[in-house]
Amino acid sequence: MSQVELVLFLESAVRLGIPLALAAMGETLTERSGVINIGLEGSIIAGALGGALGALAFEGAGLGIIAGAMAGLFVALIFAVFAISLGADQIITGTAVTIGGLGMTGAIYQAQFGATGTELSLPTLAPVAIPGLSEIPIVGTAFFAQAPTAYLAYVMAPIAWYVIFRTAWGLELRATGEAPAAAEAAGVRVRRVRFVATLFGGAMAGIAGAHLALAHAGTFAENMSAGKGFIAIAVVVLGRWNPVLVLFAALFFGAASALQFFLQALGFDIAYQIFLALPYVLTLAALAGWVGTSRAPAALALPWEPHR
Amino acid sequence: MSVPLVRLRGIERWFGRVRALAGASLELHAGEVHGVIGSNGAGKSTLLNVLGGLLAPDGGTIEIAGAPTAIGSPRDAWSHGIGLVHQHFTLVPALTVRENLALGLRGRSFQEIDQIVDVTIEQTGLWVPLDAPVRSIGVGDRQRTEILKTLLRDPKLLVLDEPTAVLTPEEVDGLFTLLRTLAREGKAVALVAHKLDEVLAVSDRLTVLRTGETVLSAQRSDVSVRGLVAAMVGDGVADEIAVGVYRKDRPGSSGGAHGNPKGDETTAGVADAAPLVGRVVDVHDDALVDVTLEVHAGEVLGVAGVEGNGQHELALVLSGRRAPIAGQAHVPEEVAFIPQDRQREGLVVDFDLTENVALALSRLDRFGTGALMPWEDLEKEAERIRTRFDVAAPSTETLAGALSGGNQQRVIIGRELALGAPMLVAENPTRGLDVAAAAYVHGELTRLASEGLAIVLISTDLDEVLGLADRVVVMTRGRAVDVPESERSREGVGALMLSGGAEAT
Amino acid sequence: MSGGIAPARAREVALLGFGAVALTLGAGGLLLLAGGYDPGAAGAAMLRGSVGSWNTFVSITLVRSVPLLFAGLAVALAFRAGVWNIGAEGQLYAGAIAGVWVALTFDGFPTLILIPAMLAMSCVAGAAWALIPTLMRLRLGIGEVITTILMNFVGIYTAAWMVHGPLQEERGIFPQTDRIVEAARLPSFIPGTRLHLGFALGLVIAIGLAVLFRRTRFGFQIRAVGASPEAAAVAGRIEPSRVIFITFLASGAIAGLAGAVEVSGLTYALYENLSEGWGYTAIAVALLAGLRPGGVVVTAIFFGSLRAGAGAMQRDAGIPSAWVDVVEALVILGVLGLERVRAARIVTDIREGDS
Repeated sequence: MSQVELVLFLESAVRLGIPLALAAMGETLTERSGVINIGLEGSIIAGALGGALGALAFEGAGLGIIAGAMAGLFVALIFAVFAISLGADQIITGTAVTIGGLGMTGAIYQAQFGATGTELSLPTLAPVAIPGLSEIPIVGTAFFAQAPTAYLAYVMAPIAWYVIFRTAWGLELRATGEAPAAAEAAGVRVRRVRFVATLFGGAMAGIAGAHLALAHAGTFAENMSAGKGFIAIAVVVLGRWNPVLVLFAALFFGAASALQFFLQALGFDIAYQIFLALPYVLTLAALAGWVGTSRAPAALALPWEPHR
Repeated sequence: MSVPLVRLRGIERWFGRVRALAGASLELHAGEVHGVIGSNGAGKSTLLNVLGGLLAPDGGTIEIAGAPTAIGSPRDAWSHGIGLVHQHFTLVPALTVRENLALGLRGRSFQEIDQIVDVTIEQTGLWVPLDAPVRSIGVGDRQRTEILKTLLRDPKLLVLDEPTAVLTPEEVDGLFTLLRTLAREGKAVALVAHKLDEVLAVSDRLTVLRTGETVLSAQRSDVSVRGLVAAMVGDGVADEIAVGVYRKDRPGSSGGAHGNPKGDETTAGVADAAPLVGRVVDVHDDALVDVTLEVHAGEVLGVAGVEGNGQHELALVLSGRRAPIAGQAHVPEEVAFIPQDRQREGLVVDFDLTENVALALSRLDRFGTGALMPWEDLEKEAERIRTRFDVAAPSTETLAGALSGGNQQRVIIGRELALGAPMLVAENPTRGLDVAAAAYVHGELTRLASEGLAIVLISTDLDEVLGLADRVVVMTRGRAVDVPESERSREGVGALMLSGGAEAT
Repeated sequence: MSGGIAPARAREVALLGFGAVALTLGAGGLLLLAGGYDPGAAGAAMLRGSVGSWNTFVSITLVRSVPLLFAGLAVALAFRAGVWNIGAEGQLYAGAIAGVWVALTFDGFPTLILIPAMLAMSCVAGAAWALIPTLMRLRLGIGEVITTILMNFVGIYTAAWMVHGPLQEERGIFPQTDRIVEAARLPSFIPGTRLHLGFALGLVIAIGLAVLFRRTRFGFQIRAVGASPEAAAVAGRIEPSRVIFITFLASGAIAGLAGAVEVSGLTYALYENLSEGWGYTAIAVALLAGLRPGGVVVTAIFFGSLRAGAGAMQRDAGIPSAWVDVVEALVILGVLGLERVRAARIVTDIREGDS
């Protein structure tokens, strides 16, 4: 493989990894609070449509990203009302929110642009090369000539790490996810912490969706989230609920998805669909191989009711 | 008298149709240790939880320094200077001791918190391993951490709910010294314990609750033990209880506590007379170190010890629920088992009585071996148990979760006895039961031993063990230490708990 | 308990179900109104397209409910044991691939051998698809929610690969397999309609599961493990991992049948995107039925009629078919919401003092 091909591989690895990193970063905080949001997929697709409509309305991709974040947050709000306020089962609520998110965006899209969907052309979020860093051989362009949302993911990882492990709010967050009763007794407002963490996760997933529409595809398509919300949840597990590791886990998944270019360059003739399945298989293998020793937050997926 | 720091008057609290508090009152003054006593189910914890903002009262008034106040949440309680040390630990196992302490002091920088922690430890002598995760430290350390966490915030009123259950007698003394010191420094201290002697040893004032009402409130010096007991249980039964709830005289028992003339040879006596039923040899497991025990027909083997010293693991091994990692466990194929956690391990709360009876009994040959469940027979058996053991449930279709703790325990006992097993393992069988229900359980255990069952009674309640058991062992750090007849007192067993069985091996 | 989905008593299930459906229809109507559609016209189209005539009901609605029936039963079985099998979708594809492979490979065999072989192989494939999440849960302690979802994608892409690659039709043009031989096709259940014997098989399985839960030892063990693994192990001396292992695989097998039955009864070939997300809809089907097999029959038909009606709604009232997914989501949320209201009432009833 030539250097050009390697650069291409790295570039697509990062490009495919970024939306996952954004969504998984938010979900990491959500899960640290004891909430598993399977509805992340719904937030991503809502973010994609919100981003697309926002970019059209405001005639700018940047505002589209913000609109996407709001859409993702709105979907997470529905999840939070049921799963946190009402204390309904998180897995089932999340599944419903995903189904509803996919359906609702599809319905809105069909209503706006017709059942077949005229090919949408959106203002795109152009890559911004960072002077200096982007000139590093091989990895420079891959990592540092990406859309601004990619840099958000890079920056969020250490910030999220710091918030979780070094701030008072992070302490409350971890206590809430590990032992909500103990947290409540210490004066933590458990449901509020979970609400905030879940909404943050939804907003990040919304940004991931908007990134897909505006930086990736330049258009919106029904079901374009293509399971990324679920993968992001696996990525959180792979990254052991540590934002920095989660960033690397997302890039690992991106690399697995980009393998098709790599292997095709090496001359392997493997069916396209196998490449599509490969990242999921590798994620399963990675889960089996190295997650065994780590622990999820003890109260993950358990509803919490203050006993009054 | 001065205005009390806190005054609760006419507090009511309902749980569904159950009235846990029916006009309870409590006055707490600065500079005093105040003991709140009452039998299980009298409403002590409920009252303290109201005070700590964990439960909202359904009626009554709360005054703080003379001013009517509502305590809507633990945060509210704190803003009034009320610090509650819970009966159940409220530490986060995955976090370190230091992080847990910081959680209670939110709003300050971590540096500041470290300073406060150091100073408070220095002042109180509550030494704890600051950088160890809570899940790796022992129960005594957890209790100290819990108290430390509350003291860090410098409460005006310190409330402790059953703080002594997990402490050795010596640690209890240390804690009481600390409480007296705190009171001398001007804090109000309220303490719940169901052991009368402990409360009497430390309190300046006492309040007695019975069935949710305050029946007595007086200076320690103004009341007699007899008077307190009478207040706790009501007239009538007072004499009996004051003499001792636990009676071990069983005519017809083969051996028993009185029949061990050789004193120190703890495995003698009964051992010679009655057949061996269960035996574990050199058992090692997660929390067990080199445990060797024998259980004989017709005896009650008492296993004492502070919670978390391997008793639960021992219970699982002895009842055949778990194969030890090393060593031999010779136990009967079927062992009746009353697990500590009724609602988690003893019953399926979403199942009705018949289903809960079926859970254990359907494996018996007499209920067939085919693929189908003999529901009619099981239903009959459940009905028999319901009547025979006086379970207060309208029918066998009542869900187990809808029963009171005492009635749940009756279902479990009835079911486990129906197994017809030669051995019974009971783990804290009276925890959380009211006096009547506890007396019932004790009576059953005594009756069963006299009928020839081999019984292992595992309990953190030392009085219960000393009162019922023919032989006693103490679990300490995973080891089982025989208690010689001559050492069978609170003091003797307490000393063994502390020595960790070092001299026994 | 880990959530609000304990199987409820039949009467409560029915009440909850009607409540949820009523709420959903109300909310759905309001949403349609907000979207600028005429809810009345939409409802009329929906009814016409699903239950407008006997033939519509049997040939469209019931036929569409068949995969939901199997997948719903699979999910209900797993959930009863406390197994979060979100993987019916992948297991269904595995079953479809296995079934179509048997039909294409052994095309000379008579119906009485071929169809049972197809169905058996689809069970094996569905169970095999569930095996990896099962082992990852039991051996490594990794929750099955994530792993079953990942396996769904593997299943979908494997099917896509099959119809583009090894099993592609002879001319190699369309992304589908060859059509299976007559002998491999399930006969009609009600003559003169498109309803095939797969529906009857689904009913048989529903009855079988109902008997399993109510009358058999193993069914009781499944319920005990699902309600409280600790009590099942300690009081019942049941090995939860054994029950979970068998139930998880059985759930996968029933989901696998869904795929083979669809191919053998209706499509006669494997296509890319064979499933319209039935594996996920199955969760709504099972939940609305209170995890009761008899209820699943009713709710599968209900969701079948929604899907059938959606087509008519799009055709006659111009309402995007994606609305059906929104309705499904609303039904699940409605059940969850009402269930929580019910649970809150019960909890306050049985809470005890002083503990």
